Amino acid sequence: MATAKDFVDRINQIDGVAGCLLVKDNGALLGQTLDDVEVYSTLLQLSSSLSRDIMTNIGFSHCRYLSFSRLNMQNFYVFPIDKYLLGVVQLADCSADAMLERIYRLIGRVSTGGSVIVS
Amino acid sequence: MIHLIDELKVIPGVIGACIVTSQEGVKVTNLPAIFKPERLSLVGKHLLKLYSAGRMSFNDLTDVTLHYDESVVVARELDKGMLMFAICDPSFNHNLLTMSFNLLYEEFINGNFSVVANETTVAAAPVAKSALPSEQKISGILQDLLDEMKDALGKILGPMAGFVFDEVTEEWMDQGSADFSRIDELIEQINQEISDEDKEDQYRQLISSALKSYQKG
Repeated sequence: MATAKDFVDRINQIDGVAGCLLVKDNGALLGQTLDDVEVYSTLLQLSSSLSRDIMTNIGFSHCRYLSFSRLNMQNFYVFPIDKYLLGVVQLADCSADAMLERIYRLIGRVSTGGSVIVS
Repeated sequence: MIHLIDELKVIPGVIGACIVTSQEGVKVTNLPAIFKPERLSLVGKHLLKLYSAGRMSFNDLTDVTLHYDESVVVARELDKGMLMFAICDPSFNHNLLTMSFNLLYEEFINGNFSVVANETTVAAAPVAKSALPSEQKISGILQDLLDEMKDALGKILGPMAGFVFDEVTEEWMDQGSADFSRIDELIEQINQEISDEDKEDQYRQLISSALKSYQKG
């Protein structure tokens, strides 16, 4: 059984990850390696809700992730995982594709491999 | 304004695009009819909210991208309350779309296009006939052929075509003589950039008459 802290730590160790946070869909913080958690936490909730609205309106089935691209290249990613939301800040100088692939693989293992995230 | 998004649609993997405003909803779209305007208006409003939320956290925000199983939605703010978004296949070339967004955004802020209601003309992407890096090595008649090939690529790749064509041609000339006997190599290298079988076929068709004319002299 993976705890939220284990999960956040493992995400944080992926090459290219500057920091991350995990919240429940009600906004409760479960773990973080970032400052300004409140800013990110609010954005996680808002973006998850709006991405669901867009999905419903346009007829898509599942949102894998959202990204906020920035001029400073420290892009912010939001991964909806069942009733949880993972936010990841990317390092400016990294291979985003490789980082995303590793994050997505880890998320797949956590949410489908029989493990449960617990706080 | 339609020409603006038609340039996006020629990028491999881009299904179509749309410009929305918070006041008027859909301003213009070239998405397939399956995407109903009223739905696109709602999507546009949600994207505007999402963009605003992102902007509150990141003042250097450029694009917002949503990756769904079936498609990817990429949004860029043009002005306060106005946003363009593209819907793409998951395999689309994100870098190419971002660069095209940058170019079109520049056009927009420089006022190089006007908002024309009900404009429906589908314009091919204009491709500047900038000098090739090693133009002096190419015969006049071959240069004409390359110009035609470059124009044709504009209809396939959109606003990035000129840049891509010059790069590929420069590489092709570095690999050997700029001669018609090596034209298949150049076409192959261009096809690698197009990276879409249907579009590659379309490109071959577009340049076939120019190639035949060249061979006839």
